[in-house]
Parts: sequence; C-alpha cells; structure tokens
Amino acid sequence: MSGQKFLLELLCEEIPANALAPAAQELATGLTERLHQEGFSEARCEFFGYTSRRLAVALVGLPARQPDRSEEVLGPPVRAAFAADGSPTAAALGFARGQGVEVEALRVVEGPRGEVVAVTRLIRGEPTPAVLARAVEAVVPSLHFPKAMRWGAGEHTFVRPLHRVVALCGAEALTEVVPLTLFGVRAGSVTLGHRVAHPGPVELRGIAGVGDYLQRLREAGVVVDPGERHQALGATAASLAAQVGCTVRRDEALMAEHVDLLEFPGLVRGAIPVSALVLPEEVLVTTLRHHQKCLVLESEGHVAPHFLAVMDRPDDPRGLVREGNEWVVGARLADAAFFFAQDRRRSLADHAQGLARVQFHQKLGSYAEKAGAVVALARWLAAASGAGVRPEEVEAAASLARADLVTGTVGEFPELQGVMGGIYARLDGHPEAVWRAIYDHYRPAGLEGELPAGMLGALVGVADRLDTLAGMFAVGEIPSGSKDPFALRRAALAVIRLGAEVPLAVDLRAALARAVAGRASHAAGREAEVIRQLADFLRERERFYLTSRVGVTGEVADGVLEARWGVVPEDVARARALEAVRQEPVFAQLALTFKRVRNILAKGERGEGGAGALVEPAELALQQALEGVAAEVEGALGAGDHAAGLRALAALAAPLDRFFVDVMVMCEDPALRQARLGLLARLEGVFLRLADLSRLGGATA
Amino acid sequence: MVDFAAAGACPHVRGAGVDLQDVILALTRFWGERNCVIQQPYDLEVGAGTMHPETFLRVLGPEPYRVAYVQPSRRPADARFGENPFRFGKHLQLQVILKPSPVDVQDVYLDSLRALGIDPGEHDVRFEEDNWESPTLGAWGVGWQVLLDGMEITQFTYFQQAGGVDLRPIAAELTYGLERIAMFLQRQHDGFAMRWGGGLTYGQVRHRDEVELSRYAFQVADVEVLRRHFEDWEGEARRCLEQEDPLVIPALEAALKMSHLFNLLEARGAISVTERVGLIARVRRQAVGCARAYLAQREALGWPLLEGEVRP
Repeated sequence: MSGQKFLLELLCEEIPANALAPAAQELATGLTERLHQEGFSEARCEFFGYTSRRLAVALVGLPARQPDRSEEVLGPPVRAAFAADGSPTAAALGFARGQGVEVEALRVVEGPRGEVVAVTRLIRGEPTPAVLARAVEAVVPSLHFPKAMRWGAGEHTFVRPLHRVVALCGAEALTEVVPLTLFGVRAGSVTLGHRVAHPGPVELRGIAGVGDYLQRLREAGVVVDPGERHQALGATAASLAAQVGCTVRRDEALMAEHVDLLEFPGLVRGAIPVSALVLPEEVLVTTLRHHQKCLVLESEGHVAPHFLAVMDRPDDPRGLVREGNEWVVGARLADAAFFFAQDRRRSLADHAQGLARVQFHQKLGSYAEKAGAVVALARWLAAASGAGVRPEEVEAAASLARADLVTGTVGEFPELQGVMGGIYARLDGHPEAVWRAIYDHYRPAGLEGELPAGMLGALVGVADRLDTLAGMFAVGEIPSGSKDPFALRRAALAVIRLGAEVPLAVDLRAALARAVAGRASHAAGREAEVIRQLADFLRERERFYLTSRVGVTGEVADGVLEARWGVVPEDVARARALEAVRQEPVFAQLALTFKRVRNILAKGERGEGGAGALVEPAELALQQALEGVAAEVEGALGAGDHAAGLRALAALAAPLDRFFVDVMVMCEDPALRQARLGLLARLEGVFLRLADLSRLGGATA
Repeated sequence: MVDFAAAGACPHVRGAGVDLQDVILALTRFWGERNCVIQQPYDLEVGAGTMHPETFLRVLGPEPYRVAYVQPSRRPADARFGENPFRFGKHLQLQVILKPSPVDVQDVYLDSLRALGIDPGEHDVRFEEDNWESPTLGAWGVGWQVLLDGMEITQFTYFQQAGGVDLRPIAAELTYGLERIAMFLQRQHDGFAMRWGGGLTYGQVRHRDEVELSRYAFQVADVEVLRRHFEDWEGEARRCLEQEDPLVIPALEAALKMSHLFNLLEARGAISVTERVGLIARVRRQAVGCARAYLAQREALGWPLLEGEVRP
C-alpha cells in the first residue's frame, strides 16, 4: 500500500444506539469526499466502525503532502484594465498587486461576461496533517444526529460530550498526531479502554494500521467492529442455549440493537422462575424481550425457562450480573403476574362493561358505543361476504374485541392489546373462532406483518377499522399532509390488505356507506359528503396497495380503479391481468383509440338512438364485433379470467380504427349522430367492465 | 400471585446488610463530600425531584450550583392500594444537580455506586439513551437511564431547557430511584417487605398511607373541589407574578399545587384527552412565568453566586 494512512477515533459518552451506524457512515464518506476536494484523489476509507462510546474511521491512499494546484483568478474587464495606448490602468495595477504578481504576469482570458484580465496562481499544497486537521474539523461538527445536546459551559453541540480524540497519520506506521481540536478537545494518540473491564489509557502511537488498532482495543475489552460484535453475540448465544438443550428464538432486530449498545459483546444465561411459567407465553416473551431486552430461549417450540441477557463485558466473575438480571426478570414477571391474576378475577365480558367509561373520541363517545357500531357492521360484512361464519360468534367477537383495553395487563403492556383479550376469552371458554378473532383482529399492522389466522378475525378487523374511519371522517378528523394522529391511513391500508389477501369479496363502497350510516348522528345532513371523502381516501389507499404491494405501475392502477373499484380481490385480479398484457403492442393502439372514444363521450352528448339508424359498413362492422366481444368479456369475467377478457377487447382495435377513419360521428343528421354516440357508449361500457385503457401510457396526449 | 421465593430464582441474598436508609445515608454523605449542598425535601406534594426549586430554578441562569436531596415524589396514578409489591403512589428519589456538568460526571457517578458497595468492575453498568421531557415545566433534557445488571437505577439527564428557557451552562441531573436500589440490593421482590431501617420494613412504615392515598386518588377525591382549587392556585400564581417585585417562590409553589391537583384529577379519571393538553399548558404558563421572574430577580441581584469575572 503506497502513501499515508490516517486513523481517527472519537471517544464520547454513550451515544444513542440509533445514531451510531449512520454517524459512522457519514463520518467516513464525509471525510473521504472532503479529501477528494482537497486534491487527495486516491484517498479511500479502509475501515469504519463504532461502539456505544466511539466512532472510528481509517483512511488510506493519502499523499505525503497535498499536491500543488493552480487556480485562475479573474480580474477586471480588458477595456477597464488597459488604456487606449495599451498601458495598464489603476484597475489592472491594483488587481496585480492584490494577487501578489507583476502587472506583466496578467493574461487575457474569456470570462463569463467578455474578455477580462486574469492571473494563474499557484497554490502550494500543505502538509497532509494540516489538510487532515481541516477536514476533520469541518466534517465532525456537521454530522447529523436525531438529537444533539450541549454540556458543561454549554458552548458546544454534539450528540454526547466528547472526551478524547485520537488522530494519527503516517506512512509505515501511524506515528504523527494530526494537530486538530474538536469541541475544545485536542487530538492525541491515547484512547481509553473499556469503562470497567479495562479503564486505563491505551497508547496507539506507532501502530501499523487498522489491524493493530482493532487488536489493541480488543485487548482493552473493546470490539470496535460492529460486525465482529454481531457474530460473537450470535455464537455465544447459540452455545449458551445449547448448554441447556435449547435454541435461541430468532430476533434480528433485538440482536442488531444490542450490537449498538455495547463495547464488548457479552452474554449471561439466567433462569426464569418455574412459577412464572404459568403466565401465557405472550406475556413472558413481551416482558423478557420488550422490557428487559432479553433473548428468549426455546425448546420444542415453547419458551424455555431460561433467558439470555446481554452484558457489556466479557465475563461475570462473581455471578453478580446473572443474579441481578434474574432478580430483575423475576420482579418484572411477578409484576406481570400480579396484573394477570387481577384481570382473571373477572371474565372478559365483565371487563367489557368498563368500556363505557373509556373514551374513544371526544365527539364519538366511548368504546362501548364503538363496540355497538362494530357489532352491527361486522354482522353486515359477514352476510355480504358470504364468509360462512356463525352469527353468534360474530356478535361475541365483535363485542369483546376491545374489552382488554380496560385490563391491567394491557395497561402495562399496550403492545399486547388484542392478544390479552384473546387469551382471556380462551380461558373464559369461548370457542376457538371467537378467541382467535379477538386475539388477532389488530393484524395486520400495515403493509408488512401477519394477517389474522381466521376469517372471523379479518371480518372484525375490517369492521372495527371501517367504523373508526367512518366516525373520524364524520367528525372531521381527516388526515392531511403529515398529520394523521389517529393513524387512519394505516387503518385504511389494513382494510385494503385484508380485502385483497384474506380475501374478502365484499364491496367496500357499500360497506363504507353502511359504516357511515352506523355513525349517522355525527354526519347528519352530510352523509353523502362524508361517504364521498371516505371513498376517495380508501380508493387512494387501494391505489397505493396496488402499486407498492401488488407491484403494478401507477397507470395500470389508475386504469383499473377508474373503471370501478371496491371489491378488492377482483380489483387486484384486473390489475394483475392488465399489467401482464399491457406491453402487447395492440394495447398501446387500443389505449389511444379508447381515449378518443372517451373524449367524444365526455363532451356530454350521450347517444340513445337505435342501432337501426347505422348505415356505414365500418360502423356496422364495429357494432357486430362489439356484440361478440361483449359476450366474450362477460364469459371471461364470469370465469375470473381477466387477462382473457382484456385480450378479447383487442379484437376491437381494428374495427375501431376503421370506424374513426370512415365515419364522422358528429354528423348533421341528429338520428344518425345519436346512433353513433350510442354505439360508442356501449363500447365504453364493455371496456370499463375491465379497465379504463385510456389511462395507459401514450394515451395521455 | 406467583410465589417467587419458593421458585428459588434468587438463592443468594447479597448486600443483605443494606437498608433503605443506608442507601440514603451513603448517597447523601457521598454527594455532601463532593461539595453539594445537602438540601431537604420540598414541603409540598411534587411529582418529581425536578420540581423542587433547588432544581427547577437553580438550573436557570449562569450561576453554578451543586445540590443533593431526597424528594418524596407523588404519582397518584401509579398507586395500587398497596396491593402491588412494585408500585407505589409515593416513592423516594435522591436528586443531585451538578451545574455546570463536570467533565468526569459519569466517573463520579460510578464512584457513588461504589459508596453503596456496588463495584462496577463486577457488574454490568450501562448508559442507555433515555431523554426526559416535562411538558408541565417546559423542560427537557438529554441523557440515559443507567442500568445495573438490567435494572434501571438512575435517570441521568443533561438539562437543555427549563421553563422554556435555553440553559447555559448545562446542569447534570442524577435521579436515583431509592426503593428500587434498596430492593435490588436486598434481592427483595416485595417492596413492602424491603427493610427500611430501625428494624422496620417499608410496609410497616408506609403501607397504610399507600392504601389511603390510593383510595383518595381513585375513589374519594372531590373532582369539583380539585378543579376549583386548580383555578384558585392559577389565580394566585398569576397574582404573585404580577407583583411589582414578583414573588417567585410563592408563584412556583402555586404552580406546583396546580400540577399536583392535575395529577389527582387525572388519577380520578376526570380529564379527557383533549382537556389534558389545555390543563398542562396552563401549568406550564405559570412555570415559565416563574422561570422568567427568577432570572430577572437574580440578574437584578447581580448573579450573587457567580464567582470572579465570568459574568455573561
């Protein structure tokens, strides 16, 4: 490796986990780019890493000295610089003096506004350490963090107080301290080891490079490379689990968070009190994972009576770390057990009585009122979708769906809403369909995430969300811009996803009208307006679903939804079919001609004349072709083969083209005109059974 | 109830000699020896040690200050009738303010753990991001919760703003959760069985007030009276601040009473979500007024605690 190397380490107080990786990345790219601008064209980042207290970057490919550069400095216009006799004016002399050259050194060049005098200045390169210092002092203070702070005298702002800076450069070895100062801290060659495992100074001057740096810090109890920490945690976790015949429940998100919270990746295994195992697994896991950030162990698919706690140190010499974690986990579980036992003193139906005292929304009343509306809507949806669920089960699930909101356990663990209700319903002896529906009617959370396991859960989930949407729209709580405090977009998207993926063959337009009717007292006199707004909102979410999850283009989604929308599985099938056939050349042509059809009809005059008035061969041919195609389209729709339906439309391309060449639609004879408009209207109707092809690309002209 | 003692989760009881009052005495001595004023709890109901004027006011302005005190903190909504062994409607905090925040504040904090007999070299001590915000005080800060072997024992905050005023210099605030620390050290899962000192348990000293304070907050408190008093004290705070020479401490005390009345009303379930925001804003308005009046007062006095020439 030719050239010089540079190592930078910033040692801070503990940096928030979510800020670390982006900051280390930004530091590495920021420094490299900055050095490129300084003429260090070969500079590149060899390594960047971080721990909970440090950011580290190593660069290579630096010259011993910054290359000299020349720069052209533009001066006054030629006509102002020289007198008529060609002698330099005061302006020229002044410019030359300012640039530190003789007036003879001035040249004439073409500037942006005509000829000007100019001088080529040589800029001597600086020693590399000086350039590095300037780069670091510019890049570090401008790093972006989610939240910055001040400390001490309050004069500096950074993510956390900075304690030490190591900045070393050199060719063979890193021997020279780069003279820089950050937030009042002068760079040196000494860092500190792990806070408790190796609290002393670590001298880095003279190390050969990154490998040495990582090794010295490893010896001081610090693993700077997050990848190495990640690997070590995974391996240790697997072996600690294997010692007790268990496996680690996969949890990449938690693992990644731990990697960022540490300087050294250590783990201890602790025991869960056997008596706590009477708690539902969901409560156990939530307590361990969300509240104590512990890894959960499994054996034979069930939560095992052990946990793994991550610690920022290599060992647990006296067993105090394990013991402490066991105490905390035990305390947390006992607390959860307290709430669970309290909740179990009453049935879920009993808890549901309490919903009358919990406000859903100031204008929309309590959760008890909401439950009433949801029951009615769920009943209607069950009937409309022909889902074959039992009415009394719909009633039970819908009325108890939110009852766990008043239980102590959900008060403590809000992330268990739904889940706890399902568990309590199961323990109360409700049928499986009912308790499962309560358990997972909050699913899915959004575009990702699991769907409810059963049809009843999906129905209750759709009913609950449609009621929320209808109520909120009725009282004017409509999302705008980034403001969506009730997460209505997510609710609407979940409705679409459930419709598409469960699937639910129910017309959402009818369903939402029903939902608004259920909250009629809040929309009095404005029902039509509320329904229209809500329909637009849902349709917009369906468009988003089609483009992002189904993966069709925006124009395909528009073409499909413009024709008609609301029965989501059907809409999705049409979108898939259109996406599949739209590349066929005939559809580009058809899109254009259909656009023409729609333009003519959009002018307002609708034909109703009898087909008998038609005379031209081209229009008679089109009429005949249309009859055949209409039948084919209906057949294809009946069979659910939307691509076949679309291909059937292709048979109209040629007759339609000829029609527009040979026939003048807006002719003088009113009867004939009416007949021709009538023909086009029928044709439009057949197309719109499938999609508005005029939305496809190329048809926009 | 799950019987954890029988489960044998914590077979070794260590730190068995540490009573709650030993924790208080050790920390108080520790910080007293590090040049802190040892103050006394504020003699009003407050939700946190931060509301004590020794924190809320002293962090304002350029004057340095170092103080430590125990503050009983009222959280009526957290009360559980003395039935839950981990939840209390009133608990004890030990609050430390170091202004300006010293460079070695984390190391000194670790020394304070040693004073409790906890050797960080044998434990897992972590500083995990946990920022703090008090909408009623118009205050926020940046910092961590300190975890000892997975147990949150201290809230560590660099104050950035109080009473809506940007702070300079910055104070470090350490808030030790005393019951938690004592329970942890005693390996005691039942807060009421924790040893307080003098041969008595926490339950023997405090259980009855937890029961009564819960009943009052959840069942008995007269909502109309509380609302009226909220209005009354708001008026008093305003009047104090409107004096030609504003009465800062009486105004702050009135604001603190508003804050506690608000907490009681909330525990009583008498505040709707939308009303909540408005009531908080009314407390904050008075707190912000106190902060401004305090700064004006100290400035008029020539920042008496400022040494040398380091004046703004």
